[in-house]
Amino acid sequence: MEIKIMKNILDRNQNKANEVRTLLASKKVLMVNIISSPGAGKTTLLEQTLGEIGQKFRAGVIEGDITTDRDAQRLKKYNIPIVVINTEGGCHLDSHSISKVLDSFNLDDLDVLFVENVGNLICPSQFDLGETFKLAVVSTTEGDDKPGKYPMLFREAKAVILNKIDLIPYTNFSYDNFKTDLRKINAQIPLFEISCTRGDGMEGWYEWISGQIKTFKLQ
Amino acid sequence: MPEGDGFLIIFQVFSFPGFVNRFIMHEIRIAEDLSAIVLQAARKENLIRVTKVNISFGQLVQIVPDIFEFAFREIVRDTIACKAVVVIEIVPVKMECNSCGSDFNLTENYFACNVCGSTDLNIIHGKELFIKSIEGE
Repeated sequence: MEIKIMKNILDRNQNKANEVRTLLASKKVLMVNIISSPGAGKTTLLEQTLGEIGQKFRAGVIEGDITTDRDAQRLKKYNIPIVVINTEGGCHLDSHSISKVLDSFNLDDLDVLFVENVGNLICPSQFDLGETFKLAVVSTTEGDDKPGKYPMLFREAKAVILNKIDLIPYTNFSYDNFKTDLRKINAQIPLFEISCTRGDGMEGWYEWISGQIKTFKLQ
Repeated sequence: MPEGDGFLIIFQVFSFPGFVNRFIMHEIRIAEDLSAIVLQAARKENLIRVTKVNISFGQLVQIVPDIFEFAFREIVRDTIACKAVVVIEIVPVKMECNSCGSDFNLTENYFACNVCGSTDLNIIHGKELFIKSIEGE
């Protein structure tokens, strides 16, 4: 006999993600799910961003880290609430873990919650955390072929950050190839070309993320 | 940023009762969730064995079928689904154009309407991670 089931295999994750999204919307907290390969510069981006917009907005961070708290230690100086989820080898965060650690934050005292996902371009794209949007971070040293290889992430993200543009002269990164691939997958997506260490292009990113936080508050 | 509001808390996966296996490679995690759904449905229908599991994966979903099937087989090894055949239907990416209303299958990674060229599109199919049915006796 055949038994019809007809449901999403990741229903449990999706239902919890929907709960998280509803809770954060009621508290007017914008949640950004930051996804990149290892070493693309997520933590450095967070350091710079918290240093800049931390004066204007109340921020918190959830750090997905396979085994250490090194990323979180780098962010401690900003005196903000940080929760680390050690995944012990696991390659992504899921909505149940996010839901669980949200209890550690006072959501009434937050405007924005940055989630630094585990460094990986595939697995984290499959798991909705209940975020307001995903942010894709890539760096020039990874090569220019990432959008073409991981279309799902670049299709689903709300913005793309291209980091380490100061290193382009030392790599075979083709800016044209990167942009052509990205535009084929997602023609409208905002792209911020930056160098977190040298400071290039950071103003545009700060302005955009500040705008997103303000707009979310007013909704 | 208010002064003195900082803190740092560290959760190990072991801090999450029942969640120890949640963070594994996504193929394995999806196979685990699938096996839970299959076994629950089989129990409800009083099956003595599950012979087939019919699922569909969208083409945009980056899953390696071999790893997925291997994981599923390991997970259900000591259950009534141990001999179940997993049938995976791959669903092509289907888009709908918000400008001209046409729908079309995407054949390459170029998200533009093949009628009017607009890039204002919705994905109708291609992101499925779906269980359709199980068969058994």
